[in-house]
Amino acid sequence: MSTDTREEVLRHLKAVVEVQPPVQQTGKAQYSWNITHEQFRAYTRSPHDVGGEVDVPVEWTEEHGEAWGYRAYVTTEVMAWRGVWCAEERRRMQNVDLGTSQYLGLPYYGRWLLAAARVLVEGRHCTLTELINKIDEVKKRHGTR
Amino acid sequence: MAHGDRNHHAKIATGKGDPQCFKGTSDGPPKFKVGQRVRIRNLPDIFYTRCQVYTRGAVGEVAVITHESPAPEDEAWGHVDKSEWFYIVRFKQKDLWPEYPAAFANDTLQTEFSERWLEPA
Repeated sequence: MSTDTREEVLRHLKAVVEVQPPVQQTGKAQYSWNITHEQFRAYTRSPHDVGGEVDVPVEWTEEHGEAWGYRAYVTTEVMAWRGVWCAEERRRMQNVDLGTSQYLGLPYYGRWLLAAARVLVEGRHCTLTELINKIDEVKKRHGTR
Repeated sequence: MAHGDRNHHAKIATGKGDPQCFKGTSDGPPKFKVGQRVRIRNLPDIFYTRCQVYTRGAVGEVAVITHESPAPEDEAWGHVDKSEWFYIVRFKQKDLWPEYPAAFANDTLQTEFSERWLEPA
């Protein structure tokens, strides 16, 4: 049984690369009979579980913190102290729920900030309409697009 | 947000910390011992887990019994009323990656699991 699982896992790690990012695929919203079990698992895996995926070497560089990033960090911490979410709920929203493209493509604290906004809506602390109107108001106040 | 009280988790962790606030809240003593050989189960992994897929089906040995906490799969939605023991399991790298160089046969990797992911090997 274990041998079967190991073979499945090692095939899975290769299948993941074939289905992501979705924009590179030819088939969109495919018929069920075109999707194998292996592809289904590759599509539905947690985006943060990247261990073992085929990738190119990444050059290690020192990250320089930005003020907005620190503010995003403090905001999410304060939200935890207020009971809005615990660390595991944060990880789910910051690393998994947003999908592979955002997980791999956005800045680290950009994902935190998006998740902070999302949990306010998901947790019914505010409505999406209120959030949209607030963002629009702040953009106008700062004269940004 | 468990049970409609969005401060539930913050209340039980205040003054103790997390995971210290879950000490003594699992069903009993740990099912596995330090040094015991364990195999990682291949449970469904939709929506959320912290059990890395590359460990599934692999056999390692328990390095440390760490703490009790709700499983990530539950805590990720704010369910903190059931706890499990957590373990650090040590694998030989060559047992995880078929192409791992024989010259580094003694290399190991350690990672953490909640008890539900382990079975005796």
